[in-house]
Amino acid sequence: MTYTGKILRVNLSTGKAQPEPLNEKWARDYLGGKGLSIKYLYEELEPGIDPLSEANKLILMTGPTTGTIVPNSGKLAVAAKSPATGTILDCSIGGYFAPELKYAGYDAVIIEGKAKTPVYLYIEDEKVELRSAGDLWGKGAHETEHIIAETLGDVITMVIGQAGENLLPMACISSELYRQAGRGGIGAVMGSKNLKAIAVRGTGGIKIPNIRKFSAALNKIKREDTMTDDNMWTYSDGTPMLVDLCHDSGILPTRNFQEGTFEDYKKINSDAVKGVLKAKKACFACPLGCSNYVEKGDTRVEGPEYETLALCGSNCAIGDIEAIIEFNRLCDDYCLDTISAGNSVAFAMELTEKGIYDFGIHFGEVDKYLEMPGLIARKEGVGAELAAGVRAMAEKYGGMDFAMQVKGLEMPGYEPRGSWAMGLAYGTADRGACHMRAWPTAVEAFGDIDPYTSEGKAKLVIGMQDDNSVKFSAIFCDFWALSTERMAEILSLLLEREVTATELTTIGERTYNLARLFNEREGFNRKDDYLPERIFSEKLPTGTTAGKLLPREEYEKMLTDYYQLRGWDENGIITEAKKKELHL
Amino acid sequence: MKALFFHAEKCIGCKLCHLACSAQNEEEFNPRLARLKITSRYDRNGLVVGGQTCDLCLKCVEACPVDAIIEKQGRLSFLEDLCTDCDICVDICPNQVIVNKETGIGVCVQCHSCANWCPTEALIFAEVER
Repeated sequence: MTYTGKILRVNLSTGKAQPEPLNEKWARDYLGGKGLSIKYLYEELEPGIDPLSEANKLILMTGPTTGTIVPNSGKLAVAAKSPATGTILDCSIGGYFAPELKYAGYDAVIIEGKAKTPVYLYIEDEKVELRSAGDLWGKGAHETEHIIAETLGDVITMVIGQAGENLLPMACISSELYRQAGRGGIGAVMGSKNLKAIAVRGTGGIKIPNIRKFSAALNKIKREDTMTDDNMWTYSDGTPMLVDLCHDSGILPTRNFQEGTFEDYKKINSDAVKGVLKAKKACFACPLGCSNYVEKGDTRVEGPEYETLALCGSNCAIGDIEAIIEFNRLCDDYCLDTISAGNSVAFAMELTEKGIYDFGIHFGEVDKYLEMPGLIARKEGVGAELAAGVRAMAEKYGGMDFAMQVKGLEMPGYEPRGSWAMGLAYGTADRGACHMRAWPTAVEAFGDIDPYTSEGKAKLVIGMQDDNSVKFSAIFCDFWALSTERMAEILSLLLEREVTATELTTIGERTYNLARLFNEREGFNRKDDYLPERIFSEKLPTGTTAGKLLPREEYEKMLTDYYQLRGWDENGIITEAKKKELHL
Repeated sequence: MKALFFHAEKCIGCKLCHLACSAQNEEEFNPRLARLKITSRYDRNGLVVGGQTCDLCLKCVEACPVDAIIEKQGRLSFLEDLCTDCDICVDICPNQVIVNKETGIGVCVQCHSCANWCPTEALIFAEVER
């Protein structure tokens, strides 16, 4: 068994930190990561709480593969009720934090309450301390991590920047400077608790029977299933390769989703990133090494990833790789989610150009664009408006039809009018517009499935959502395209019992339904599962998607199909029969 | 004879080498028990990749007062029964890759697990020039 069987519960209000046993039944039903953190939140959070109050909890959850030699197992789930959406929120962060926590002896940390003054949490095996973060408060993520490393030595840290301190709904958590738990304002949850950072050092290890045989088997799997042509785009290019693909497919968000192609896409594509590439970098236990560490003058960043190139590049009409790298670095340091920040800036640009409200910034204005991360994070000037996210901006100033968000979460870099199932995936994602719950664009825009039909899309999206749910619970990185059969084979060896692919699919389905149940309890239903009006009624003007939109009636049809196949009623409420079937 | 070499420019910092070493030699997944030290971290000046491996300098063999570390045909072995836990070898190793355990020590025995796992050939075994 690769669970430690121990959870660390830290109450910041009382200052008490105590280990407790892992709930083994829940671990069997939900594995770990996404599923298990949602289970704990569902059971422990009162419905209707303010996500920024001390009633919210922040959970760091590892999984049964964490800390082992299993490829791509270095991720950590970070979960809470979302300040951006009011939904359940689980993020996935790479780097080295998850294994270090496991080596310290914990499957998870549950953080409750609120500290009276800024603190940071320091975990060194059994020793747990709350230390003053008075000197760190107000500092950026990078400086904070450097200072903690200089104070404590070889610890692994997760920190927030000014965005989290200022409780922004687009505040993220950062680790090792460039890794983020990015979406839904997870950093603001830390900020609301006066928790500046978490540092961990773990000196223990994980033992399994026949470890040498296991390692040999996994090395073979690594060679034959992980490091294959299907997955090695990560090393050769990483996510920037998607710029060309999305432009060619007419789904590269440009000028706040007014277009699906960008005239300067070649200035911000994978070749442009390779022009400043310094080194490739991987998370713990990952042979794929998708990250690009780039340097340009004094500006250094691990990135920019595709989402940043799209939302902070083409979507703001910025065709300047150096400017995007600097914007990326600023967002990382302030701890701003680049998807949401890019959307906010682009929305402000469109509102300004349309004369609806003058935010003083137009598409393509590099100098003003580079001022935005600082203004947003510090809530200064127009930054205070952009900091609230596009839905809140639209509520105040107008433009809701082209505020590109679902449930209050800004839209990632795949235009749904050229990938209809992606639209359904955004609408039904548990935390608002998200590309990590299902990514049907891969088989629609880049594959053989017709992007412009509603037929079969509900089934496609459900399959992907359930598969990803169990994948992010086990915990694996998205970028190893592994089958549930392969996952079952690995987990059977680690958990010393027979795990079947069918069981894993059920765990995925159970997890996705539990997330929905959480949202249902918060008042979410069909009315919340829609896309911005622009997607339904404005035709894209250029490229291979010219003249395309996603007709509302087709979306309604996909949504109705989706609920039926899910075993939910017409209003998107989970039926009693489905709850019983999944033991919810 | 052959020894382990590290090419920093190829390393992606995945730590699979550490896991492979500790699994093979200590029967647990614990990067701190690996008989090599590969680091890949960001400091104020950017990415710093460092690698320390056993290059068969044999200083530990020479220093061990009870001959508990021996070299035979280009391969080190550790004879636990003879070890007195004096830790002289741990201190003398110029690359700091001898693991100091509660009882005894761990030296690189050229099992090649690390290089077998390295996804980018940053770790390779090659002929040592003397």
